[in-house]
Amino acid sequence: MKSKHDKLIVAVVSVLIGLVAGAVIMLILGKNPFSAYYSLLSGCGLAPKARYAGGKNILSDFSDYLDFITSMFFAALAVAVALKTGLFNIGVSGQMLVGGFIATVLIGYSSLPAGIAKPLVMIIAAAGGGAIGALIGYLKYRFNINEVVSSIMFNYIAAYITGFLINTRYVDPVSRQSKDINEAARLTLNEIKIGSYKYDIPIGFVFAVLAIFAVAFILDRTVFGFELKAVGMNREAARYIGINVKRSMVVSMLLSGVLAGLAGATYFLGYVSTIQPKVLPSTGFDAIAVCLVGGGSPAGIFFSTFFLMIISKGSTYMSSQMGLDAEITSVITGLIILVCACSGYILQVMNRIRNGKEKKEGKA
Amino acid sequence: MNIINNIISNGMIFALPLFIMAVGGIYSERSGVTNLALEGLQGFGAFTGSVVAVSLAGYFGADSPVPVYLALISAMLGGMLFSLLHALLCNYFKADMVISGIVINILAMALTAFFTKVINKNVFGEASDGFMLGIMDRFSIPGLSEIPVLGAFFTNIYMFEIIIVILAVITWYILYKTSFGLHLRAAGDNPAAVDAAGIDVIRIRYFAVMMSGALSGLAGICFTYSITAKFSSSVYMGFGYLAIAALIFGGWKIMPTLAACLIFGFARSAGYQIVQALGLPSAYSDLVMILPYVLTLVLLIFLAGNSQAPRALGEAYDKSKR
Repeated sequence: MKSKHDKLIVAVVSVLIGLVAGAVIMLILGKNPFSAYYSLLSGCGLAPKARYAGGKNILSDFSDYLDFITSMFFAALAVAVALKTGLFNIGVSGQMLVGGFIATVLIGYSSLPAGIAKPLVMIIAAAGGGAIGALIGYLKYRFNINEVVSSIMFNYIAAYITGFLINTRYVDPVSRQSKDINEAARLTLNEIKIGSYKYDIPIGFVFAVLAIFAVAFILDRTVFGFELKAVGMNREAARYIGINVKRSMVVSMLLSGVLAGLAGATYFLGYVSTIQPKVLPSTGFDAIAVCLVGGGSPAGIFFSTFFLMIISKGSTYMSSQMGLDAEITSVITGLIILVCACSGYILQVMNRIRNGKEKKEGKA
Repeated sequence: MNIINNIISNGMIFALPLFIMAVGGIYSERSGVTNLALEGLQGFGAFTGSVVAVSLAGYFGADSPVPVYLALISAMLGGMLFSLLHALLCNYFKADMVISGIVINILAMALTAFFTKVINKNVFGEASDGFMLGIMDRFSIPGLSEIPVLGAFFTNIYMFEIIIVILAVITWYILYKTSFGLHLRAAGDNPAAVDAAGIDVIRIRYFAVMMSGALSGLAGICFTYSITAKFSSSVYMGFGYLAIAALIFGGWKIMPTLAACLIFGFARSAGYQIVQALGLPSAYSDLVMILPYVLTLVLLIFLAGNSQAPRALGEAYDKSKR
């Protein structure tokens, strides 16, 4: 069993190695890594920029950043719930797309008032994502189909079918994306004026924080959560003590899909208001990184989302300030999870160092 | 008649690279290393191959076939090098093999996207996120291509198809007819027994993963030279995962996997031909694109329960547990 302390060590070590490696690449390209990392912070409203456009200040950058990370909370939780049960949901992107697309078509283009439209958007997207998740779980339960393979297949099927429907029915001829949804259905209150500044206020952020507490409660304080974790730790032992392993797997994937659907709602009907046809949102894949760095626990995910999303969100501003390609940030994220994947080895080394010290102290 | 010919020859273009990638996956998984990294390996191979092809293009005549061959070789080397990372993570750092595979894929996408831009900007002086390669020449084998129906297998083929067939025969022979192949297969079923016989399990696994890297790299550059015509993020279309699906319902055996890949290839090209024959707008070809993925799921429903995965698949070999 890994303790919380160990998880923190792994996360810190991986992040440090990732940042140092990124700095080395920047130095080779002749850029100053410190100002690059500082511009990442400025891009997220965590440090002041040199200049602001009209109606913008550091707080409006920060509210935009919160808007950006809202869907990541849901997506990373989706990965975590499945992972606790020993399942790997790499289909979060596809489930986001399905949930977001159905909510867009049914509610986003309707003339429902905001008070009805906004809750309906979340419910419908959650149902859409949950349906795909449950289907993946059912295929595993009934036909023993590896969930990694089936969820990837659903990713592509979702991307092409929604892409086809957008291109044939809902396309905006100018932007080549789906038509903008009505403001009443949008989960982000756009350009709200407070004083002389404008802010984008994400309603979904409140629900994302609630979801973190809810998932933590389910996993740590309920029989159902205990069963999920038991199945994830040792399937045979779980079966032996009378847990319905197959049902646990289906329900876990259902819950994972629901969270992914909510991620889709807060992304496609919140942070943005259109869907690009045939493109899977990268959030679902980055969520795997966020979840791994967060050690798979809701509390860990809360912090790793805040941290890793600085790197993604700040990349645009960094790119404009430093002339560095924004893609370097995904390289840094990739390196961080690469090191994170070696958590067992890192802990072994840490233990060796610790034991060595104790021995020396014992001799003296 | 013409439609059937097109289905066959276009289907083979897709099926053969997919197949050789799946063969690499079989090597890796039969030796006991779960390999979800095929997608990233083929992308990285395609990247190194494309870089070599684009930078050498100026030194050879426009008709010279040399850059293409060099691109294929360097794609294999690139895929092999990158696969070392997966082998290291799985065998030395004892990482979870599934997670390692996913990480390799994410890292490959990030690295190739970043370095494509950097190389384009600093070496070629243009802001582009891809390398234009164009499409390889196609030719027909005289004589054989005139056979009715079956002749389509020899019509309008790419040079790489022949290379893949040759490599497939060699890899089949190594895996099933040599003692090394027997050791490799045993390493995935009972590594302790292989170790007891005095054979280095870890070395076999390194070799197997690098083999999958080389073959995936080859597949990646083949897709780049035929389907996408350029290297960009569009090489990550999930073909690596399709190859994994193919090998799973091929039961981790080479010949049934070939059958699965052929089904994918023909389903895909038949879909395109039908869209064209009916004169439907191009958006409909997106619907056809889902055919291989849907077929995968349907076939897995019927076959996944029966197939037997290598018994020690996904477990890092630990001598002390013998």
